[in-house]
Order: sequence, then C-alpha cells, then structure tokens
Amino acid sequence: MLRLFILLCVSNMVLGQDANKTVASVISQMNRVKNYTVDARIKSDIPLIKILPVKAKIEFKQPDEIKMKTQGIAILPKKGFTDLAIMLKNKSSYTAIFTGYEVVQKIKTESITLLPSNDAGEIVLAKIWVNTGEALILKSQITTRTNGTVVADYLYGKQKEFGLPDELTFSVDVKKFKIPKGVVVDINRTKTAEEPKNQGKMGTIHILFSNYSINSL
Amino acid sequence: MIFIKSIYNEVIKIALKPRSYLGIAAITVLVGVILFALKSDGMSIISFVTSSFEQTLSFEGNVLNGNLVAFIILQMLIVQIPLLIALVTGDLVSGEAAMGTIRLLLTQPISRTQLLLSKFMAGGIYTLIVIVWLGFMSVIMGKMLFGTGDLMVLNSDGLVILQEADVNWRYLGGFLVAFLALFTVSSLSICLSCFTDNSIGPIVTTMSIILLFTIIGTLDVHVFDSVRPFLLTTHMASWRSFFEDPLPIQDIKNSILILLIHNILLISISIYVFNKKDITA
Repeated sequence: MLRLFILLCVSNMVLGQDANKTVASVISQMNRVKNYTVDARIKSDIPLIKILPVKAKIEFKQPDEIKMKTQGIAILPKKGFTDLAIMLKNKSSYTAIFTGYEVVQKIKTESITLLPSNDAGEIVLAKIWVNTGEALILKSQITTRTNGTVVADYLYGKQKEFGLPDELTFSVDVKKFKIPKGVVVDINRTKTAEEPKNQGKMGTIHILFSNYSINSL
Repeated sequence: MIFIKSIYNEVIKIALKPRSYLGIAAITVLVGVILFALKSDGMSIISFVTSSFEQTLSFEGNVLNGNLVAFIILQMLIVQIPLLIALVTGDLVSGEAAMGTIRLLLTQPISRTQLLLSKFMAGGIYTLIVIVWLGFMSVIMGKMLFGTGDLMVLNSDGLVILQEADVNWRYLGGFLVAFLALFTVSSLSICLSCFTDNSIGPIVTTMSIILLFTIIGTLDVHVFDSVRPFLLTTHMASWRSFFEDPLPIQDIKNSILILLIHNILLISISIYVFNKKDITA
C-alpha cells in the first residue's frame, strides 16, 4: 500500500495535476443539489437471480439522506450508490491523487484515485474518472474490504448541470451463491440442479432515472 | 341420486369423527407457530439465506411479505400434511369393517363399487377442506400479518423474484397440484384400508410408504434414479414448479399425469379388492 501511495504521489508530481481541485469542482457541482426526487427503473442482471425490472421513487436530501420506495423487491449494490458521494464530501477521509488521463465514453477524463486515510476502514480504494470540463464523474470504482469491487458508469442527460445522471450502470462482483440446504425443502427434485455457468462472475444493475424534481422540497 | 346421498353420508361420518379435526387443528397450530416465529425474527432467516449475496447487494422493498411467508409455510408443511390426511382416510373402509357397520351399509340399494367410490369422494372432499384451510392460514393470514409484495423464491440453485401480480395464479395452480397429490395419498390409504379389518394398519402403512418414498427420493444414490420419477412423493412437491421462471409446463403436466395414473390404479385395485372382500365373516 505504501509503495502504491509513493508511486501515485510521484506520478502526481510529475504530471503536475491538482486532483484536489478537480474533486472540489465535483463536490461543488454536487452541493448545488439540496434535494431531489426522481423516478427510477431498476433492471438487475445478476448471476443466479431472476428478477424483472422494478420501478422506484428516490428521494434525496443533503447531506446524505436517501430514501427509496420500490414497487416490489429491487436489488442494488451494497456499496457505491451513496458511499462515493459521502466519501467525496468528507475531505479529511481521503487523499486524492491524479493518476492520468483516460478516455471514458469517448471523453478525455482525469483519473483520480482516492486513498482512504483510515487503513482499517471499509473502503480500501476508490477511483473516479472526471470530465473536468463539466465537473462530472463519468465512472467510479469502489473497492471495499468485504463487498468486493463495484464499478459505476454514469450517463448524463438533461440534469448534467446538477451532476445528476440519467442512467447509472453498476457492475458488481457476485460471489458464489449457495443457499443452505436445510432452508430449501427441495428434496424431491428428480434431477440435480445444473451447475450454474455464470457463478462468481460480474452482475450488472442498470438504473434509468426520469422525472427529476430538483431543489423543490 | 343414491350415490350422491352416499357421498353425503360419508362426509357426515368424517365430520363426526373427532380425529378429522386433528388435521385442521394441527395446521392451525403449526402455521400459527411459524407465523409467530417469522413475525418475531423473520428477517434473520431471510438474511441467513441471502447472506452470500448481501455481501455485495442489498435487497430493497418488503422482502418478508405474506407471499414469501406462505411459500415458506407450504415448504415446511407439505411433508406433514399427507400424514394428517391418512389419519382420517386410512380407516374409511377398514374402520367400518372392524366395527361391523360395513355389512349394514351394504344392505342399502347401492353397489359395492358405488359405495367405495363415495368413500373416495368423501376422502377427496376432506382433502380439499384441509388444503383450503392450509391456503387460508398460509396465504390469507400471511398477507394479513405481513402485507403483500414480490415473492422471493428460495431455490437451491438461486433466487427467483416473482412480481406480486404474478403470484396469485401460481398459488392457485400450486394448491390444485398439491390437492391432486394429497388426494393420491387419500386414495393410497383407502386402497390399503380395503385389505384389512383394523383401523391403524392402513394409516401406519400409508405413513411408512410416504416416509420410505421420501427417503428414496432424498438419497442421492444412482440405483434409485430410474425409480424416483415414478414415486408419489416425488410429485407431491411439484406444486413448487409453479414458482419457477420460466414455468416448467412439461414437468407439471408429467407430475399431473403420474398422479392421475396413481389414482386410477389405486381406485381400480380398491374396487377389485372391495368387490371380492368377504364381509360376512
């Protein structure tokens, strides 16, 4: 970790970019939104889970109050939905390091690594790809101690001035899923369940946002 | 007309036996205990099941709802219900033979076949009442206590989340197939009842057969692979197929066919044995 930190610091100095300035512009964009409500359509494609798209209503209030009302059961990533925003706003909890330029969604972005100050914390590493021109996060990646890595791709539309995406796609690690046999009384199956082919692979959760109502509460 | 009257008489006879209410009472108590347990600490059970997913994902919405509760109850009780059915239907013939009332019964202007069929019908009506009561206690009471919502079906190979609007017809189909399976148990016990003159024998034998078949079905031994698809107990769980996505129509049809064949065979054997039965001794 120390080597990585030194390497990132050196590269930061060589490239001469101010990651903190970029992060600050992103936070400033976020802070323009005091509250919002939005309709969401959540489509999950997770290995070993069969679920149809679900509609939901999301309410957000600063600083980090988020409520979700779903018309049924919806699946969301455990980390990544609100954790990144919470982490970014708490400036003392991380060190932002510029790690280069990358093209994301055909746009040149600044890649910034966020190293948590607390070594024992849940988030091990976070990374964001920022379109500096519009101060928008186009992609993020959060690696946690217990929940694996969650990658999020942001697609902006009408609400890009507030930094709110129209589409959000999460890619999550799904560990091998096994229900304890005692719980499932499925003893009379005539054939053994086929070994699922997609075990241990990535799952995606696609959220489509519509009908934003910003700063109206 | 005499056949209808005979069915009515048989139903009255079942209704007058205190034993008949044991099944209803047992379902009421069992479901009550399960509902209480789930109401007290249901989320920890769900969490135990989904723990490997919950490391990465979170389930939003009312997961522990009446639909899931009903599903859990059915899974738990479907093994016990046949025993409650056999307890009543197992002595429909042998009980009368033991008491000697079968001779009196056959003095009526009704054929032996008709009399026996009326007993099968009465057994079917009792089975239907038990199933309806189980449905009321699990689905209706479950929804009253836990609300409604999408159904998360817990399979050994993953999760299927069925939308609320897509669940009720599945329960209806599941209960119909469960009724057919339990009616087969009723037919088995009545069939065994034709062979003896004591009440306990057919009841215990029916329970033993179900236990034996269940064990054969559970044992993952290749020797039983060819037998397993034809066992009654294998298809007693086919109600569960209604909660799979996509619906395994062929499997359901297959189960219904095998259960119907079981019923036809058991009823035929019963008719043959009962017509040959010496009731004068």
